[in-house]
Amino acid sequence: MSKVSKGVLGMANYDTVIGLEIHVALLTDSKFLCSCSTAFGAPPNSQCCPVCLGLPGSLPTINEKAVECATKAGLALNCQINLFSKFDRKNYFYPDLPKAYQITQDAYPLCSRGFLDYYVDDQLVRTEITRIHMEEEAGKLIHSGSSIVSSDYSLVDYNRAGIALIEIVTAPDIHHPGQARLFVEQLRLLLSYIGVSDTKMEEGSLRVDANISLKPKDSDLLGTKVEIKNLNSFRALEKALEYEVSRQGEILDQGGTIRQESRTWDDRAGRTMSMRSKGDAPDYRLFPEPDLPPLCLEPAWVESIRASIPELPLERLGRLEEQFGLSRYEATFFVHYPDFCQIFFDLAEYDLSPKAIVNFLMGDYARLARERGHLDARRIAGLLTIVKEGLIGANQEGVVLDALFSSEKSAREIVKEQGLEALRDSTELQGVVDGVLTANPDLVARFRSGESKLLGYFVGQVMRATRGKADPEVVNKLLEEALS
Amino acid sequence: MIDRHDVMRMARLARLELSEEEIDQYQEDLMRFLRSGQKLQQVDVAEVEGTSHAVHVAHELRPDQVGTSLRQEAVLSLGPRVEQGFFRVPRIVEGQE
Repeated sequence: MSKVSKGVLGMANYDTVIGLEIHVALLTDSKFLCSCSTAFGAPPNSQCCPVCLGLPGSLPTINEKAVECATKAGLALNCQINLFSKFDRKNYFYPDLPKAYQITQDAYPLCSRGFLDYYVDDQLVRTEITRIHMEEEAGKLIHSGSSIVSSDYSLVDYNRAGIALIEIVTAPDIHHPGQARLFVEQLRLLLSYIGVSDTKMEEGSLRVDANISLKPKDSDLLGTKVEIKNLNSFRALEKALEYEVSRQGEILDQGGTIRQESRTWDDRAGRTMSMRSKGDAPDYRLFPEPDLPPLCLEPAWVESIRASIPELPLERLGRLEEQFGLSRYEATFFVHYPDFCQIFFDLAEYDLSPKAIVNFLMGDYARLARERGHLDARRIAGLLTIVKEGLIGANQEGVVLDALFSSEKSAREIVKEQGLEALRDSTELQGVVDGVLTANPDLVARFRSGESKLLGYFVGQVMRATRGKADPEVVNKLLEEALS
Repeated sequence: MIDRHDVMRMARLARLELSEEEIDQYQEDLMRFLRSGQKLQQVDVAEVEGTSHAVHVAHELRPDQVGTSLRQEAVLSLGPRVEQGFFRVPRIVEGQE
């Protein structure tokens, strides 16, 4: 194939159509159909048993927590929960699949017809969720080369094989690579809010297969789609899709046809590559899983799961903007960092302005808290209250904040012990001002002959003499009086 | 109708190596299955509820508790070639740009 150049006619003449399949490992202690541990990082092939290895005579049983997590995800994504769903056996040979079949849900998935609303450039958009089904995770392959295509051999670890997964399938209604990324970011955030997955992409807990095709603008006919497998970072997802938009656009521009195929993303080379498997096109010969009866759920149980769903990211964004008057930027920060958001809500219970709380939490505190962990909201409220009361000056806030992190004392105790109270008593400050002026007769003379910028120097000297505690307003006033 | 080509395709999907005689034998066997199936299709099932599973049992869910796994050596003994605790497998796909 010739070199792909970006921004050719491809972009202008075609609409991009993207649909995603997102595989999410559920947060259970044991695997989906056996009791092996799901802990990450164990020695390879040390968390396997006859069931997940598919040894003859073994019998799978369904993990109830996995069903609970899958149902919760479906409800949070506005899906219909199917009270009757069942399992099927998908047969294929692949080294990451020890049993040579995967237990999945084909015709009767647990969840269908949902949607996720999210912002794309300040515009609220909706992506339809076609279905969510439960299935088993495959083992982990480590390739000898930079991608599966360039590898002479691979190493297999079956610890992951059999972990409970959900596959979330979207309708093909995503229109550009950046939108695909935003969708997955929002989905990931939502899944972490409801606690059904650790969503760690770097550990493979959330992986995306992307289907992408181009169609001539204003045509109703979809083009031939290409599936890009196993995208395991937001960057890889966006880059691989951008590459495909260019590649497919160029082929179509030259009058060529797109081959329907699976491709893989080579991150190092920055391109997708065909991964034609040996032999036939896949034929999974799906049939009803004989080892598992259908899954029949009670409506009351589904409702109890619905009741356990907390406030979701989009609702929270709206509440932060409407109830507390936060900007979109500020609200987005808190939606993305639920730990900071919790502290915001705790502080909002005190008599403090939301603006003051937000400025504090998003300022120096954010850096310190990331390094050293969060402070108790009560102690932060103590600091913000004495700042509000004017007990300390703005430049003492940082000193007290440091002390809050390194001791158990309250802000008031710290201020008292270190004598940090703001000095605004005119009589007391007058002495300091007089002292500074008496010590600098030359500078006073220069000031009086027109060097007005020396006022800043005098203020600085007074602050220094009072270790930053003097109220700058009072100091300014006293200096102006003394120098006039 | 099942022809030799169908049998060879099924054998390939199941990774079975069949001799010419076996292909003939399986073609004949599978045709017999098909004829039995055709006989069943004559039964009127309009009033019969669909069966999704051979036995009528409600699912039984298992609590999410970690149990014992096999030892790593036992697991690795099941494969022909291992390397540093992993199974080592030959090239998986033939790729090209």
